Amino acid sequence: MNNQKAGTARRLPDTHILTIIGLMALVLIMMLFLQPGNYFSLKNARSMIYQFPEYGILAFGMMVCMIAGGIDLSLVGIMNFTGVIAALIVKHMVPAEGGPMTAAAIILAVAAAIVIGCACGAFNGFIIGYFHIPAMLVTLCGLQLYTGLAYGITGGPAINGMCDAFKAISNGSIAGIPYVLFIFIAVFLLVTFVMKSTVFGHEIYFLGSNARASRYSGINTLKVTIMTHAFSGILGGISGILITSHLNSAKSSNGSTYTLLTLLIVVLGGVHPDGGKGKVLGVTLSTILLQLIANAFGLLHMDDNAKTFVNGCMLVAALLLDVYLDKRAAKRN
Amino acid sequence: MEKKQKLLLGLTSTPMILIYVMAVFCLIAALRQPAFLSPATLINLCRAGIFTMCFAICEMVVIISGGIDVSFPAIGCVAMYVPMWLYNHDMGVDSVFFFFGVAMLIGLVFGILNGVLVSFLKLPPLIATLATSSVASGGLIMLLGTREYTSLPPSLDALYSVNLITFTDPATGFKYPLTILILVPVFLCIIVALIMKYTMLGRGLYAIGGDKNAARVAGFNVIVLQFIAYIFCSVMASATAMIYTTLMHSSTTTALMGEEMIIIAACVVGGCRLTGGHGSVGGTILGVLLITLVRNNLNMLGIPTSWQTFAVGLVLLLGAVLSSIQARRIEKMGKI
Repeated sequence: MNNQKAGTARRLPDTHILTIIGLMALVLIMMLFLQPGNYFSLKNARSMIYQFPEYGILAFGMMVCMIAGGIDLSLVGIMNFTGVIAALIVKHMVPAEGGPMTAAAIILAVAAAIVIGCACGAFNGFIIGYFHIPAMLVTLCGLQLYTGLAYGITGGPAINGMCDAFKAISNGSIAGIPYVLFIFIAVFLLVTFVMKSTVFGHEIYFLGSNARASRYSGINTLKVTIMTHAFSGILGGISGILITSHLNSAKSSNGSTYTLLTLLIVVLGGVHPDGGKGKVLGVTLSTILLQLIANAFGLLHMDDNAKTFVNGCMLVAALLLDVYLDKRAAKRN
Repeated sequence: MEKKQKLLLGLTSTPMILIYVMAVFCLIAALRQPAFLSPATLINLCRAGIFTMCFAICEMVVIISGGIDVSFPAIGCVAMYVPMWLYNHDMGVDSVFFFFGVAMLIGLVFGILNGVLVSFLKLPPLIATLATSSVASGGLIMLLGTREYTSLPPSLDALYSVNLITFTDPATGFKYPLTILILVPVFLCIIVALIMKYTMLGRGLYAIGGDKNAARVAGFNVIVLQFIAYIFCSVMASATAMIYTTLMHSSTTTALMGEEMIIIAACVVGGCRLTGGHGSVGGTILGVLLITLVRNNLNMLGIPTSWQTFAVGLVLLLGAVLSSIQARRIEKMGKI
């Protein structure tokens, strides 16, 4: 019985990963007929790599919170807030003539973004864990709060005109490979390591499967909740740096469609909305799948709103797949 | 002793705290700006509160039933845009009933969609309605394009110019009309309050919000009740969107987007719990009043408009924390 259960648990995410790979193949085959010349070029591959890390990293944050049984709707707010702070630091501290101060200012900006992201996340986690308020409500407040902070600091207009070195973070490349790909791979490895090989990662899975049981078994649920959300906030901060550098602008309303997009990525990637289940690999693959689709839409000159429409439909489809797999697993047991 | 405790509980209940906060807010605003204390402020408040009130009642019913609906702004946009689009493409008659009928029909379709996703397929309400929202909003712009209709058809214009009372400022001569449409939220509140309190339907909504399984065992049809909650929310939200078009003289594809935050805030501040089963029309009215007051008069306190988003977020967060503390306190008292 026990063995069988472990078996199904291991098989379930694999169905998801197989589905994603199948969908990827479908998109690629479709594009092979529709736009073979443009789609399968090195230039296009590079342009895709420049785009997906910012929301891919956000999706990791959403994933961590969802595995812990919560949700983090404030990620876009954290992203913009940290982006604004980083932009302010870069704008005011980088001297016009360059020199070693530039590197120091950029490092300071990155560190500030990560620390502030961590603090925002920890604040969310504290309110959720200490007052026992649903994560959805707290992070919805968080979205409003952090967006409001970013809006209040900038006063509305975007902060533009960062120095070249800062812009290079998201727009530069080495030997034809964009830096952001390395950053994404580093974050991927970090998240995989945390979720798979640390006590903290296993506590997140426990908390998501059964919060009460994990408290009785000696896990400090408040601490784990705070740490989970702080971790998600750090990822939001990294993403804030990337998007600010990529767009060369920081304002409170950047990337407002990313909340839906990250939810879609995470659910499509096999993370269960009730928590406890999910794999980093699945989320990574579904990030890449969505980038493939978005890029195909772009090349076919489809409307951006068509993408929103299709994303919504896919979200429902992914949820239905979850329900179907759950039912099948229940029958088998 | 017991009487004293009851009085204390009454004085520190959530609605009373809201009233204190509002009183302090009004006092400070009045001290800073004596013009605050004029009937004009009241009329402006009523006008600004019409949509918030209607939306909040819709959302409240869904929250009490244990769900959440973040799709109503998108559905509302579809419902306000499509009738105007039809009219401007010579495919509709110029009648108030036509406009509101089409709007509510659209609401019904999306309400059924939400209901199917949440009650039949048992998808998490937040994610399911978020998906509905993007389907509605993306589909609308994709199919009908983005335009802004700023001229009303004559029938709606006639409805717009019916006023209940008109207050003329003696000093400046400005006229502050109070539209007849203020009666919509008033009647909606009364009807919903009666239904929630005195009918099997209303008690059933509270029951499924409190504990779905217990409600099912007690003989309530959970699926049908959830369906009714989502359909009511969408249909009423669509009608409200049409009222918005009438009063604002504008119909766009994104006019209401982002409104869901404020509405959920108003409900939660007014004592609805997102876990379901708790909340009342009275509390929601107070929550809406507070949010409308804060939103429209923050500059009276000397807070610049660019910090308004932050201030609303703060009010929302404090409301959530407050209701959690209250819930815990009541639980503790029960044990004594």
